[in-house]
Amino acid sequence: MRVQGENYRRDLGIRSYPFLVYALVTLSALVLQAWLPHFLHGHTWFDLPLIVTIYFALSRRDPIQGTIMGAGMGIFEDALTNHAVGVSGIAKSVAGFLSGSVGVRIDVDNFIVRALITFLLSLLSGAIYVLIYRVLLGMDQEWRGLHELMKAVGSSAIAMVLFPLLDMTQIWD
Amino acid sequence: MDSFFARYRNLLVLLAVVLAQIIGLAVQVRRTDSGRNTLDPRDPTGVRLIRLWADAVVTPPEQIFHATRMGLVGLWQNYIDLRHAREQNQELQKTIDRLRLEQASLLEDARQGQRLQALLDFQQKYIYKTLAAQAIGSSGNDSSKVFYLDKGSSDGVGRDMAVITPDGIVGKVREVFPHSAQVLAINDQTSGAGVILETTRIRGILRGDAVGRPQIIGILADQRIQPGEKVLTAGGDLVFPRGLPVGEVVRVQPDPDRDSFIDVIVKPAAHLDQLDEVLVIISTAPRISTEQQQDMATSEALKGAEAAAIKQQQRASQIMAERLPGLTDPNVPPPANLTPGQDQATPPAALAPAAPKLLRPLHPDRFTPGAKPQPPQDKGPSTPAPPERNPEP
Repeated sequence: MRVQGENYRRDLGIRSYPFLVYALVTLSALVLQAWLPHFLHGHTWFDLPLIVTIYFALSRRDPIQGTIMGAGMGIFEDALTNHAVGVSGIAKSVAGFLSGSVGVRIDVDNFIVRALITFLLSLLSGAIYVLIYRVLLGMDQEWRGLHELMKAVGSSAIAMVLFPLLDMTQIWD
Repeated sequence: MDSFFARYRNLLVLLAVVLAQIIGLAVQVRRTDSGRNTLDPRDPTGVRLIRLWADAVVTPPEQIFHATRMGLVGLWQNYIDLRHAREQNQELQKTIDRLRLEQASLLEDARQGQRLQALLDFQQKYIYKTLAAQAIGSSGNDSSKVFYLDKGSSDGVGRDMAVITPDGIVGKVREVFPHSAQVLAINDQTSGAGVILETTRIRGILRGDAVGRPQIIGILADQRIQPGEKVLTAGGDLVFPRGLPVGEVVRVQPDPDRDSFIDVIVKPAAHLDQLDEVLVIISTAPRISTEQQQDMATSEALKGAEAAAIKQQQRASQIMAERLPGLTDPNVPPPANLTPGQDQATPPAALAPAAPKLLRPLHPDRFTPGAKPQPPQDKGPSTPAPPERNPEP
């Protein structure tokens, strides 16, 4: 893992993607996240919206884009549940911000690094989710460590497969 | 100042986004009377709008995916089924013949039971009109046990309608959209269904725990509750009709928050994790068949005729009472010293009419009015005193 200076981003080509890729990938992630658990007996051992948020934030190396995209994805996810709208939004905003910030300083072309970042940010996102419920809202929300660990592992595994596929759609400036 | 914003631009954007969402959260949470925070069951307008948009985006692709999957599954199952169709048909015909005989006797019992309940004016709810719907998606979040149906308000689905399967209850409709509906499963932490244990008749509230297991809470410790006991709906929550299967008791554990209370873990009768087709109870109005309606009309008519006969008898009694001679002389003028406020119909005791004069009996005894009570004769200590007689009305 090479740690680079802040100006390293300028030295690298900024990756960009066609609008259709943005739209289709984000929409597919949201729809599949809601649809796939229906087949998996209710088990949700992955977080596709978080994976997509991390990918685009890392690739674009832009914390602001990661923040806004994470907020949008999270709010959309919350809207499909019976929970308060905004809890996942905050958690994924932070994850997107950190992904973009990390992308500026670290070479994230290595797929193992990207999987590791996905693993850590998945755990962090889950922790923020529970923290907001308990501290900010004062409501009961149990921390299920094993489940969050499985979810982080599942997300990392999907990221290792999905990221190279998405890399093929990028446009080099 | 400009350099400050430029330097911390990313962080400021993050703070602004997080702050906006915190403000959004604040309007969704309210404090209950018991001092606990909870989500408002009725979403604010803005939040409902967000949910509506999310549903509008997600539901159409989900319906397409679901229809494709069901088509493929149906195609494969039809092929498999056709391979043994002849043998199965013969077996099924035998089963139908047997069930017809059973149904005839059961139908008669059911008709009699419904007729009796209708006549006794029970306020029990019956399941009369259901709507078949497909479960097309989930919330995508493990801690939120909700799923989506492919039927919405345009199909007659409304809030708080019960959702069931032939195996048992599933949940209730939480949110309704034009062409879809969100269902809150019974194993969600925020759900609540009134249930009763079949044998011990102990009532409680069913809801999910943190890992999505249904449990009955609010029950005092009771040694009679044993694993395997059936759990039914109690019918008091105005959502689920009474007597529907819920599941069976798996085990009993002490309530970690309250002493002397227990939590009863329940295995749901419906397969909550493998839902494809469900039934929405869209009408629970009492159903009365034509025959029952005729019976009730006859009953009402008989009751009306009986009431008319009783009224006629009362009227005849009044007429007879007016015509019969009384102890008071109706021709006697009312006393002149009545005060203006007094009613003639209710004279005071001092102004009561005098008792009529009676002829003196030839042989008076101790029962003669006005005779002095004679001292009791010596009949021995064991003779009981004559009982005091109450005047007849």
